[in-house]
Amino acid sequence: MITIRNFSYRFSGSERYALRDINLDIAPGEFVVLTGPSGCGKSTLALALGGFLFNQYDGEATGEVIIGGMDVRHTPIYDVAEVVGLVQQNPEAQFCTLTVQDEIAFGLENRCLPRAEILERMEWALNIVDAQHLKGRELATLSGGEKQRVAVAAMLATRPQVLVFDEPTSNLDPTATAQIFDVIARIRETEAITVIVIEHKVEYLRRFNPRWLRMEGGQLSAVSRQPSAVSRQPLVQNPKSKIQNPKSAAPLVKTERLHAGYNGHHVLRDVSVEIGPGEFVAVMGDNGSGKTTFLQCLLGLLKPAEGRVEVAGQDTRKAPVSKVAQRAAYVFQNPDHQLFAETVWQEATLAPRNFGAWNSETEALATALLDEAGLGNRHADHPYRLSYGEKRRLNLAAVLTYAPDLFLLDEILIGQDPDNAARLLEWLQARVTAGSAVVLINHAPEIAQRYATRLLFFEAGRLAVDAPIAEGFAQLARMGREVYLPSDLTGFGKPVRSGTRSTTNG
Amino acid sequence: MANTSSLAYQAASITDRVSRRATGRLRRITYQAGDSFLHRLHPLVKLAWLAGGTAALFMIQQPVGVLIVLALAGIAFPLNNLKLHRIRGLRLFAVTALLLFLTQVLLTNTETPLLQFGPLHVTAGGITRGIYTAGRLLSVILLSYLFVLTTEPNDLGYALMRAGLPYRYGFMLITALRLVPLFEQEAQTVYQAQLARGIAYDRGGLKRFFTLARQFFLPLLVSAMGKVDALAVSMEGRCFGKYPRRTFLREVAFTRQDGMALGVLVVGMVILIVLRFWIVI
Repeated sequence: MITIRNFSYRFSGSERYALRDINLDIAPGEFVVLTGPSGCGKSTLALALGGFLFNQYDGEATGEVIIGGMDVRHTPIYDVAEVVGLVQQNPEAQFCTLTVQDEIAFGLENRCLPRAEILERMEWALNIVDAQHLKGRELATLSGGEKQRVAVAAMLATRPQVLVFDEPTSNLDPTATAQIFDVIARIRETEAITVIVIEHKVEYLRRFNPRWLRMEGGQLSAVSRQPSAVSRQPLVQNPKSKIQNPKSAAPLVKTERLHAGYNGHHVLRDVSVEIGPGEFVAVMGDNGSGKTTFLQCLLGLLKPAEGRVEVAGQDTRKAPVSKVAQRAAYVFQNPDHQLFAETVWQEATLAPRNFGAWNSETEALATALLDEAGLGNRHADHPYRLSYGEKRRLNLAAVLTYAPDLFLLDEILIGQDPDNAARLLEWLQARVTAGSAVVLINHAPEIAQRYATRLLFFEAGRLAVDAPIAEGFAQLARMGREVYLPSDLTGFGKPVRSGTRSTTNG
Repeated sequence: MANTSSLAYQAASITDRVSRRATGRLRRITYQAGDSFLHRLHPLVKLAWLAGGTAALFMIQQPVGVLIVLALAGIAFPLNNLKLHRIRGLRLFAVTALLLFLTQVLLTNTETPLLQFGPLHVTAGGITRGIYTAGRLLSVILLSYLFVLTTEPNDLGYALMRAGLPYRYGFMLITALRLVPLFEQEAQTVYQAQLARGIAYDRGGLKRFFTLARQFFLPLLVSAMGKVDALAVSMEGRCFGKYPRRTFLREVAFTRQDGMALGVLVVGMVILIVLRFWIVI
């Protein structure tokens, strides 16, 4: 089906090859999983398969990409699109219309199909992604998982022979992630489509018994049937912080019967929590359950509608955000939203300067942090020239420089490969050991299990679980929330099995 | 130090509140879902009524005519289950209209005054001109509100394409509709991220202003470019632009009510033109 021979590609203006000497054969109907660190060229390869690299981007290509006998490098994009469908990472960004029906019809209308056939294909595609009930909805009202299912249906409806998924679940919570992989399974059952999935979450993919490929530095580095060749190192014994729940210390965060939300609608209901120094709190829950709202309340970005929030002794209703921000750092999901300065160095030192905390000590700290982040020789570069992973490290370095007591982190590990994620988490852990507190919204149970001391689990705006991490997972297991358990607690393999469930601490 | 910094905090929190209120207000001047007569009317018929009504206002030379249009537009709100008093931006327009009226009344000074306060005269001509100018402004605004509040912009886009607008232009509108709320949300996030890092909107100076503008717009621009790339991949990957024409799943029905509404408009406009150019009103 797909033959790639000696294929290399370099974006114009870049000295580095994004793809180097790729040789790959994929048979019709094969299921291939492609993994590798962020920036390794996975997404570029996906763009090459879809033909976009040769139509939308300027660059220099050598070698061959042949799909279904068609030379993709020299074929108009519309002809490639008849064969290859690409589902992208962010469902929001790939929608072309405003309603579910218009979206699924979009690709078919462009092909000038008659109305009757559009309707027929829409039914078929909606059935496969199990989204019949969403048919009359507007896209803006859907949850993240529902959006991604509609995006998949829209692609399926065009009946491609090759379906490429580029990190289709990186913005999704575990419940929705499991649903998307179920959808992929159903596609495999009903259609003889060649499927290529780019994904970090390898545990979910084992059940497909796929061919595993790994990319590194633009090259395919391991081709194997053995998942172990691409899976992570086994986790070492929990190196958790020494100070666990120091009852004596004054709490850094204290919320009392907190209700909060937007436009008079309460997202968060009746949340009472105390977080003290030395705690590493993992916040989990479905998308829309109130996790981000909770975090926003802790910096005072959102004021309580009812109840109280105190951060480092300051009532967020009275203290302005810029004052709370000196004690509590907030890192947002998307690195691009929080790079403001013209150089890496200015970016790293922006906050201490703004807070009037700039001195030789913070200067030395900033230098050390950038060295540690692997940005020691990039001080004069513009932050936007960094890779995705580097930007993320810079985001974190930029809040570590003024040594706040509390770190509020909203899904900062999205799109980060395991190595980069581990590096960020170790930085945070060191701060926790030194007496800071971390509140991390994150969907990966393994990360919570390894690093966190405590679990907060939100369900429809209410705090459903608040317990030390092992006890927290045990509670989640009793609640039937298996997708939120680390794989060693579910008995391995993500497809949820009921009945045999372990509630002990693995 | 303590004083200046506390001032800075206050400035930042005021900016925060102002920006929240501004975005809140913007949201209120949008489509309101409903099932009234106007909601069900074909978007293009409504557009024709809006254009016709506006043209009529500029043809009518008598303030009484303007007042009639104003009254009709006003009555249309409750008739279509739209609550006038809940549209917040309207108050601003009402005040503007009132000021316009007062200026006209007080500054028109061509005949024997009805009333006189020192140098200010109130004349019959002034009142006429005041009603005429302010009424025209308010009427156009009310008519536009009627259109915007009852017409889903997305439906308008598809209706225009069905009526012959090249689909590339139609989708420009639809893409804009899709992206504007996204960008609005992102602007809010960037602003919050700035607050979190202690970027305060307090100190003045032109240089400072440009720094702030760059720090605000660069992140937005970078993320917008990423979004546009993803969208282009998604559109071309689904054959957008393959053929000069395309088919549509949507069927925008042209009902009898639409026909009648259009008929009434045409007859009304003809009568107005006759009155205006042959029998001067």
